[in-house]
Amino acid sequence: MLYLAPAAVAAWLLPYGLGGYTMHVVDVAVIFAVLAIGLGLTMGVAGQINLAQVAFFGIGAYTVAILTTKTGLGFWPAAVLAVVASIVAGLLVGIPALRMQSHYLGIVTLGLALGFINWVTNAEIAGRAEGISDIPVPPLFGIDLSSGYLYYYLELVVFVLALAFALFVTRSPLGRRLRAMRDDDLAAGALGAEIPLLRMTAFVLSGLYGGIAGVLYAGLIQFVAPETFNIGNMFLLLAMVIIGGRASVIGCVVGALGLAFVREALLDVSAFAQLGYGVIVVLVVVFFPKGLAGLPAQVFRRKRAERPRLSPFIPYDEAPAVEAQTVLEIDQITKRFKGLIALQDISLSVPAGQIRGIVGPNGSGKTTLFNVISGFYTPTAGRVRLAGTFVTGAAPYRLSLKGVARTFQNLRLFEDLTVRDNILVAADRTRTSWIWRYLALPWTVSTYDRGLRSRADDVLGRFGLTGFADVVPRSLPYGIQRRIEIARAMAMRPSLLLLDEPAAGLNGDEVRQLAEIVRSIRDSGVTVVVIEHNMGLVMSLCDHVTVLSGGRVIADGTPDEVAVDPRVVEAYLGDSMAAPTEDDTDREAEHEHADR
Amino acid sequence: MQVFLQTLIGGITFGAVYALVAMGFSIVYRTMGLVNFAHGSVVMIGAYAASTFYMATRLPFAVAMVVAIVVTGLIGLVIERFLRPLENKDFTLMLIGTIGFGAVLEALAILIWGATGHAVPNPVATEPINLGGVRIPTYSLLVIGVAAVATTMLALFLRRTKLGAAMQAVAMDHEAATACGIHVGRSNALSFGIGAGLAAVAGSLIGPMLYVNPTMGGTLGIKGFAAAMLGGFGSMPGAIVGGMAFGLLDAFAAGNFQAYSELVTFVVFALAVMIRPTGIFGEATVNRA
Repeated sequence: MLYLAPAAVAAWLLPYGLGGYTMHVVDVAVIFAVLAIGLGLTMGVAGQINLAQVAFFGIGAYTVAILTTKTGLGFWPAAVLAVVASIVAGLLVGIPALRMQSHYLGIVTLGLALGFINWVTNAEIAGRAEGISDIPVPPLFGIDLSSGYLYYYLELVVFVLALAFALFVTRSPLGRRLRAMRDDDLAAGALGAEIPLLRMTAFVLSGLYGGIAGVLYAGLIQFVAPETFNIGNMFLLLAMVIIGGRASVIGCVVGALGLAFVREALLDVSAFAQLGYGVIVVLVVVFFPKGLAGLPAQVFRRKRAERPRLSPFIPYDEAPAVEAQTVLEIDQITKRFKGLIALQDISLSVPAGQIRGIVGPNGSGKTTLFNVISGFYTPTAGRVRLAGTFVTGAAPYRLSLKGVARTFQNLRLFEDLTVRDNILVAADRTRTSWIWRYLALPWTVSTYDRGLRSRADDVLGRFGLTGFADVVPRSLPYGIQRRIEIARAMAMRPSLLLLDEPAAGLNGDEVRQLAEIVRSIRDSGVTVVVIEHNMGLVMSLCDHVTVLSGGRVIADGTPDEVAVDPRVVEAYLGDSMAAPTEDDTDREAEHEHADR
Repeated sequence: MQVFLQTLIGGITFGAVYALVAMGFSIVYRTMGLVNFAHGSVVMIGAYAASTFYMATRLPFAVAMVVAIVVTGLIGLVIERFLRPLENKDFTLMLIGTIGFGAVLEALAILIWGATGHAVPNPVATEPINLGGVRIPTYSLLVIGVAAVATTMLALFLRRTKLGAAMQAVAMDHEAATACGIHVGRSNALSFGIGAGLAAVAGSLIGPMLYVNPTMGGTLGIKGFAAAMLGGFGSMPGAIVGGMAFGLLDAFAAGNFQAYSELVTFVVFALAVMIRPTGIFGEATVNRA
């Protein structure tokens, strides 16, 4: 916070040392900075490839221009409507993001931006290629804003507010969810993040910042024309965000201010300038993917004197025994993928406080069953009941908020979030519709976030992960990553925990710790369903085992009963009488070949 | 009816060019999962190379085309070499890296050929063929013919040659391909070279139809890209069908909405891919737990 004061003083005193033209350049640079923050939030924080940011900018500026010159509306009412128009445009452009991501989204948003330019160059109301001139100077309590110097202070206030809001959003629970969605949208959904709404939120933010920048631009230049909003400038904006560091709001600002000045300096040799920043973007992407913002960390890579150790797990308090009720009930579930029947008429019910094992050969449908229970798949037929209420086909985030937590077979931790942030994402149990508070009651968000942090610290401490809280999971050994995933699931305070092969890749010691953790979780009153291949662990850990084979339940009972069931033995070991002998291995190989 | 047929012919001609651009995108995408946003600029360089050589030397147009293929092929190899560290890794970074390359190529074109651009004379300056009142420009036939030949050659290469088979293998699973002794880096470079070569064919063909200028790559690239998406990303038949579909969409939008054709085209395109994000031939790439 301390380094902010000199920056603020410098920004305040800056106009005193500048000539009229330089002041104008600074004014334009600040507008680009606001625009870049918006792009950084959508692209860097939320991971939505948005190449229409320059169109939102254009919509803001053109709306002000059209409303003030054609309808005679005052500047500020027009400005409010302009920001609303940009946000609406953001919502419309964001709709495709619900159906597609990455390059698909990039090309669709770019196409729509081209469509916008096409419209303004041809529409009578937008002044065609000549654009609209004579936009009135914004009135402000008698301050003459036609002066670039005084306009700078208006921009400065808006910019500081925009920056503060962006920083606030990225560091709040919403920002964490957006980043979680960027890293892995499926896992984020399973942790209670409402992905469609979050994607729209990202585009709303994009439209908001684009609109504000557009209004400022219209008030500053008092003239709008299509070429300001062309693809070349979209690329410039992208270069600003990438060079500065897309995931860092401050980085975006630095990139925007820097490139805006460089562009101005090289205005006479613009082709060389374009060559230059094209080359820089390529180099940044290959060598410094985090941009300027990531440079300090990359240069001064800290060497830890000592690697923190994993502390032992602190068992949960035992919950008082409750009357037996069925937590999970699956009734005649069938799941088909086109021709393939992955699950057929699966029924099972899990009473509260049980550790249920699901076992079966590879491809028997275990993970598909988990995906149905946690809402990733909608079953073709059948019903799922959770503590008595039907939840068939409910979205993963709804199930998560209803108390279903899961881990994944091949670990889905958020790679670019610290371990603490991973836990915090799970600890946040609010609906996304809660986000109106970010605008209306920001202080309640801070209070809520403090609560989350203390809960996350509890979880980290309990799972012995405090020493790793501030590193990214990627840098940690596999066994610890597995434990983080269980801790993350438990941070949701679930009533039903689904573990998909939690012992895969663990050594003997870690498997023992896992068993201890799972028992303690059960004793705290959480029902656990576990898919596992390690039969030793299943036998010792589970109260009850369900065996799947070929998408059907072939056995169900206590571990001891199941282990001797002839159908189970057959499923695992094959029918010994039909097994190939040495004589017919050739025929068998041929047969296998034909199968492919 | 006459107007309809006339528009149809225009649409097919442009569609053939879009199909070539889309095939260039697709071959690179399927082999290395790289979405090459610089492809449009490569097309533009191809157009410049072919037209400059053609107008300066007065040698046959086919020779100019070969020169353009060599030039863009080399550019393709350079881009591939630079972005190799990112292949099959971070999608967003690769995408932005190629946008950077696009800007570099555009700037180079401005530095070499100037910002204004030039018109290219029609290499087959004969009267259009009159077919029942519909006038078919001979150049259209040339464009469609060349596109068809290029497509057939590519299909034969991918199906019948060992190198082509190796590229298909890399496309399906680059790790398994490595295990089979295929040099994935070399195979990727080759597919990037072929993609850039296709861009040169498209660029040299489009030269006489449009005004050749440094910014043409942006629009052409986006349209070719959109065509690839419409057909199904990474699918070769999809690229052809998508190219044709986009050419027709473009031509009919231009006929009915005149100046607003681009807006209409992209809105229709956005709706189409929203209804079917995987395109016509695309396979569902469901990424599930």
